Amino acid sequence: MKIVVCLKQVPETNDVTIDPVTHNLDRRGLAGVMNPFDKNAIELALNLKDSRDDVQVVLLTMGPDDYADSLREGMAMGADEGVLLSDRAFAGADTLATGYVLAQAVKKIGDADLILFGRQAVDADTGQVGPIVAEFLHQPQITYAANLRLSGANEVTAERLLEDTKQTLVAQLPAVVSVRSELNTPRYPTPRNIQLSFNKPLTTWHHDDLDLDDSRLGQAGSPTIVTKVYAPEPVKRALTPLTGTPSEAASQLITALKQRQLI
Amino acid sequence: MPATTAAAEKLLLQMVDDYTQREISPYDMSMDAAQDFPKGFVEKLTKTGFLGIMLPQEFGGAGFGPEVTATVLNHIARGNASTAVTLEGHFKTIDQILKYGTPALQQALLPTANDRIFAFSMTEASGGSNPMGISSTATREGDHWVINGDKIMITNGGLAQVYCVLVKTAPAELSVFVVDQDMPGFSFGKREDFIGLRGTPVGEIVMDHIVVDNDHLLGKLGDGGVIGDSAHDDARILMGAVLTGIMEHELKISTDYAKERKAGNTPLTDLQVTHRKVADMAMRKETTKLLYQRAAQLKAAGQPYSEEAAMAKAHGSRAAVSAGDDALQILAGYGYSREYPVEHLIRDARAMEIAEGTVEKMRSAIAKAEFTK
Repeated sequence: MKIVVCLKQVPETNDVTIDPVTHNLDRRGLAGVMNPFDKNAIELALNLKDSRDDVQVVLLTMGPDDYADSLREGMAMGADEGVLLSDRAFAGADTLATGYVLAQAVKKIGDADLILFGRQAVDADTGQVGPIVAEFLHQPQITYAANLRLSGANEVTAERLLEDTKQTLVAQLPAVVSVRSELNTPRYPTPRNIQLSFNKPLTTWHHDDLDLDDSRLGQAGSPTIVTKVYAPEPVKRALTPLTGTPSEAASQLITALKQRQLI
Repeated sequence: MPATTAAAEKLLLQMVDDYTQREISPYDMSMDAAQDFPKGFVEKLTKTGFLGIMLPQEFGGAGFGPEVTATVLNHIARGNASTAVTLEGHFKTIDQILKYGTPALQQALLPTANDRIFAFSMTEASGGSNPMGISSTATREGDHWVINGDKIMITNGGLAQVYCVLVKTAPAELSVFVVDQDMPGFSFGKREDFIGLRGTPVGEIVMDHIVVDNDHLLGKLGDGGVIGDSAHDDARILMGAVLTGIMEHELKISTDYAKERKAGNTPLTDLQVTHRKVADMAMRKETTKLLYQRAAQLKAAGQPYSEEAAMAKAHGSRAAVSAGDDALQILAGYGYSREYPVEHLIRDARAMEIAEGTVEKMRSAIAKAEFTK
């Protein structure tokens, strides 16, 4: 069984700035760490690997050369190999262009039974790349999985945890699944596995290593146009205390909400 | 340094910092009060592979060198010194088995050092800094040795499962044997109620007619003094690292507080009295760091490092106590309160003016080394 875990390296700090030209996050010069949600996806893959002998875990990411640090960390957690997709042609990609290149790379890796994602990246918070990859691969997808098990030789069952409901979904493999942090507690890389991870294969694929339609790549292949990114100014309003008995206070609250046409 | 080595070290320290922040620091105050590690704490540390950081890969360890090992303890001590000192006691013992153990002894013992804590025990009621004052003995009986004696104030005593013990094999001959807590005749005695490093168990072992084969001898007969000195040297480098971590903790508490607190209308950060204290703390921290790193570099390069290791501990221990005193003064009433960590950091640091050789003994060793130059 081959599991591909797609991961992203994100800025270590919340103190990021916006590129005035592209209106994207300006990641230049920022130290990167693995997106925390992606560790849950790796942990899921490693749990499956621990439970059976035939599981191979491949990590996949797209970005500059230093994204290899996150691949190495995942390999130190226990993944078998890493693939970095790095080329100037990929730069400036939105979620669609990123998903396209990742999907092409998954095809090249070949025979992936399960493609895992963290539920979203903590820098841009879109949660779109996993579903986009599933569409490019024409595979079933389960997002926001808080529980997952192999329920048959060629089938996966996941509990999907949404804001106000739970869904249990069954998908035929190969499938794409994005996972929530409730799923597990990621393991720490042990010191020994950190050392041994440097004996594991880490491959970089450039533009010419993949079968790509150039019109889908990078900024040119990204339909998303960010016109403005800004932090909204907090709105300060006077507080109106609710008074009286709980019943009276509730009446006041209902009246106030109706006046503002909120209910 | 090869790129992969640098990258591995970076990843290791990233993991250590993450682990310290999430798994160790939250218990810093409570383990001082409880005088113990929390339930499951050592097991998790073990499972995450900390015991094997400096153990060569051929024995199942990670095989990181002396400089990185010391730096790891520096970083852990930023969160809690007791955890770092327990690892120090384990690492210095492994170091002696690596230096003096036969291949057979190493093969028998060291793979288990990833899962079992090791300890080195020298001190007795009749002798601490004077090893010839000890009364524990190993007596040859046929093909075996019979060990009798009582060792006290052992770092990790009661927690460790394997002990290197300094004994007399003749009236003026010191040797080291390796014993195991599962051997008949082995028992634990009382645990010390020390004022600092209270998470780390420091206790007593009693050896009552423990019978071991000759292959449990570490080094040769009569090597006990040399092995004991070597264990001290290795421990002193790591203690310099722990003390650096304590001072970084003291400095952070002090600067965080000073940035928020005012005296009257003046922020503490604008007061020269604060500047003087913070600058002195920073200089003490940095000089200790340079000393332990220098000693670790010499050790890694196969050069003599005994004097530099003594400097790291002698300088660092007083420096950390003094820095703690400055931190306490900056925090004033809060510094003097048990609700804040400063007072226990002073108690933690104070232990290292005594353990692994008193600072007075360190200074004698440093002076004697200088006289020979």
